[in-house]
Amino acid sequence: MISVRNLRKSFGSVEVLRGVNLDIAEKEVVVIIGPSGSGKSTLLRCINYLEEPTSGEIVVDGMKLGETDINKVRAEVGMVFQRFNLFPHMTVMDNITLAPMKVRGTPKEEAEADALRLLKKVGLADRAAAYPEQLSGGQQQRVAIARALAMKPKVMLFDEPTSALDPEMVKEVLEVMKELAREGMTMAVVTHEMGFAREVGDRVLFVDYGVILEQGTPEEIFSHPKEERMQEFLSKIL
Amino acid sequence: MNFELMAQAMPLLLTGAVVTVKITALSVLLGIIIGLFVGIARISTYRVVHLVAAVYVDFLRGTPLLVQIFLVYFALPVVTGQRINPFVAAIAACSINSSAYVAEIFRAGIQSIDAGQMEAGRSLGMTWAQTMRYIIVPQAARRVIPPLGNEFIALLKDSSLVSVIGFEELTRRGQLIIARTYASLEIWLCVAIIYLVMTVSISRLVAWLERRYKIDDQR
Repeated sequence: MISVRNLRKSFGSVEVLRGVNLDIAEKEVVVIIGPSGSGKSTLLRCINYLEEPTSGEIVVDGMKLGETDINKVRAEVGMVFQRFNLFPHMTVMDNITLAPMKVRGTPKEEAEADALRLLKKVGLADRAAAYPEQLSGGQQQRVAIARALAMKPKVMLFDEPTSALDPEMVKEVLEVMKELAREGMTMAVVTHEMGFAREVGDRVLFVDYGVILEQGTPEEIFSHPKEERMQEFLSKIL
Repeated sequence: MNFELMAQAMPLLLTGAVVTVKITALSVLLGIIIGLFVGIARISTYRVVHLVAAVYVDFLRGTPLLVQIFLVYFALPVVTGQRINPFVAAIAACSINSSAYVAEIFRAGIQSIDAGQMEAGRSLGMTWAQTMRYIIVPQAARRVIPPLGNEFIALLKDSSLVSVIGFEELTRRGQLIIARTYASLEIWLCVAIIYLVMTVSISRLVAWLERRYKIDDQR
């Protein structure tokens, strides 16, 4: 579904990604962990071209980035941000229906029916008419997930989706993500939630200094980490 | 003070004031349309577009409106060989001048919107233009209401400058009446009061708009 070859990304003279190779299969849930500043968010943002790679090749669902119309690629790749980034001037309903209507040309009625179904799924069917600022952080993030799903993406990218949330709201967002994973959504998740990584991840990647230092099943990574940096990281957070 | 004269002059001055409102309203409208595009061009990542817009804004903000009016009314006909109607010249000079200030207001308004909004729009597959239109500009519009109101008021006052090309708006009407009556004190006082009433009305209107949209935000 996603193939990344020798991806490099520099910001000015700082090389954030130093040759990353990564394949994500259909229905696979890949969890990306690592210290802050390691480049894991940048890796995720390169996959839908919010950051333009300095060099390397990224192919998403058979479309090569940089050669295909980027809007076509992004329509298939849902993204959930740390800071939700809901549209504050629109109701929850309008937040969700805007892109399907403008990008896919979905008729309004169909888009709204879809949106209601998605809101039900994330447990917010009664908040369709609310504005984002009337919702808690956890609710906003669930709306953001519904908004991304409304495009019927083939892949979902999560960039630290629970890092900006109060602790008591983390669970409700993770539950929605677990549900998605169970349904067979292909997912790449950057997170510090090790419980989630262990429970839901098919594969865990440890990114450090712009490379994938170690990868494997959650069991391999968390119980038998090989790399010293990995052991050090885990000892700090677990 | 001759109050009778003031009362007599009022109707004439008021018709002048109507003309002033017309020039200002038309110029503001045109200025907003041109300014929106120039403002967006100012933040364009295309170097040439960005540069042209920057020069446009610098020129119009860096030269006096009076000189710009002369350029349009007296200098342009030298180039084109055609006389220009004072009304057209007045509107052209005022709206182009205003568009530079409006462009800066829009640029600031757009740049004040969190970058995450553009990213969210783009990540959903919307084009840059779609995201601008549906996400960024509507949010920026609320923030630019107060500075746009200030620009509206400034332009209304500055429109008195077009009296120099003989265009009969409020200030010019005042001059003509004084030429006949020599009643400087009375007439300039009347002119000042009419301007004051108009600008205060606009600032009230802007304050009302601002309140209205604040409430919308919290709905």
